Amino acid sequence: MPVLSQYSLEGKTAILYTAGGNDAPFLAQAIAEAGASVFTIARQRNTLDAVQEALGGIQGSRRGVVATLDSGDAVAGALAEFDLLHNQVDILVNDSRSMFARKATEIEQSEWDAVQSRNVRATFLLSQAVGTRMIAAGYGRVVNIISGLAERGMVNGLAFSVSQAGLLALTRSLAVEWGPHNVRVNAIGTGWSIAEDIPVEVQREEQLVRYIPQRRKGHPRDVGPLLVYLCSEACDYTTGQPVYVDGGLNAHP
Amino acid sequence: MLKQLSLDGRVAIVTGGGTGLGLEMVRHLARAGANVAIAGRRVPPIESAAAEVKAAGPDAIAVPTDVSDSSQVNALVQATINHFGRVDILINNAALVSDSVPIPIWDLTDEDWQAALDVNLTGAFYCARAVSRPMADQGSGKIINVSSGFGLRGGRDIYTYCCTKGGIIQLTRVLSFSLARYGITANSIVPGFIPTEGTDTEMRESLPRSGAYLPTGKLGVPQDIGPVAVFLASPASDYMTGEIFTLDGGGLAAGLAPTGYAPEFPLEP
Repeated sequence: MPVLSQYSLEGKTAILYTAGGNDAPFLAQAIAEAGASVFTIARQRNTLDAVQEALGGIQGSRRGVVATLDSGDAVAGALAEFDLLHNQVDILVNDSRSMFARKATEIEQSEWDAVQSRNVRATFLLSQAVGTRMIAAGYGRVVNIISGLAERGMVNGLAFSVSQAGLLALTRSLAVEWGPHNVRVNAIGTGWSIAEDIPVEVQREEQLVRYIPQRRKGHPRDVGPLLVYLCSEACDYTTGQPVYVDGGLNAHP
Repeated sequence: MLKQLSLDGRVAIVTGGGTGLGLEMVRHLARAGANVAIAGRRVPPIESAAAEVKAAGPDAIAVPTDVSDSSQVNALVQATINHFGRVDILINNAALVSDSVPIPIWDLTDEDWQAALDVNLTGAFYCARAVSRPMADQGSGKIINVSSGFGLRGGRDIYTYCCTKGGIIQLTRVLSFSLARYGITANSIVPGFIPTEGTDTEMRESLPRSGAYLPTGKLGVPQDIGPVAVFLASPASDYMTGEIFTLDGGGLAAGLAPTGYAPEFPLEP
């Protein structure tokens, strides 16, 4: 099967941050299969374990750390673990979609702060530290996995939507500021997705699924090859962009 | 995972495929394993592109086509199916490059306006209409419409190009929504400033000569569009539809403000 060699990530080192959800193993697998070494920073132990299990068959990628990235020191601690194994970072993937849904009138301040901290502040702090290294090296690719709720409203979605809109703004701003340093920053926007294989007939019993033009929920596998492209050297003239992979939701009224 | 990015054995139609971005998409599609029907108004460029593809391995045909004539478009799709037996991918790339030359509104003639609509928008519609039935019958298809940064932003005195390229984005959305149930996806590529032979000769004065104001610090090169076209033509993008894929050096993320200008303000007490 001919595949363009430009998509290869051979010889590249990637850091994957996951704030939550079940997509990280699939994201890690995609970039590892394209040839990158993957170091994972997970907020939860079980997420890291799932990533390591998914990478089981792929050499050189079974590494990572559990960390709550709530301060510059926490980021430095996680990167110190990374430095024991690698001497350069080419790729940073942030999956910062830790979900939370509650009526606007009932959101506690602590909940609000937790959502913004793990999704936005952690992504900023890690991007700042890793981006500094990329600028020094004169090369980098950053991809933020965000939700389409960055651009839409949803009942009960306030705190989460604000965090995703923040990540979209972070994507655009870093792209502009780091463009001259050959660091590209893009986002993949997801729609309604689930990291399980559920037959479409079963999915379609849900009204929501019948509203999606492709009439099925997304799966993290749906974004794998796009993630590889955005992490590759070939992605040189695309920066600051969200690319939505959502089964057509954005074209829908 | 990566084998989803292969186009092995697929059949693509690329309009305006003899030159510029179209030619570069033809080359990348072929390198990824696709057979290509190359359409264009002028014969020598499409024949030379077809010869290049065949020399590299895949099969190719050159079909002289004016996309503003629906009978020629229908003949293009028929010729493709006659030769290859199917059509999996349509890249609507043909456009009048000359219509992005700035013309004050009072100097823009009925003919100028109509010619741009006919080629840039109607041509894309004719092509999408002609492939949609065979694609629906086989339960799969990929329609890729080449828009422009001028489809999302206004250009001073650039009426026809901006309006038709904006229309392309709406055509993409309607196609995606309407054809999703038949396994067909439709997406737009939005190239920013990417100088080509065509723009160099016809639009020398209306395009920036440097990318200094872009976040990437440089203009694009035609080769930039290849891997994006292959991605959107391949099963790797099956859950992506109705969307815009931008490659513009970060121009849309930044606006056109000079990127070197960055004031700092201290935190208020």
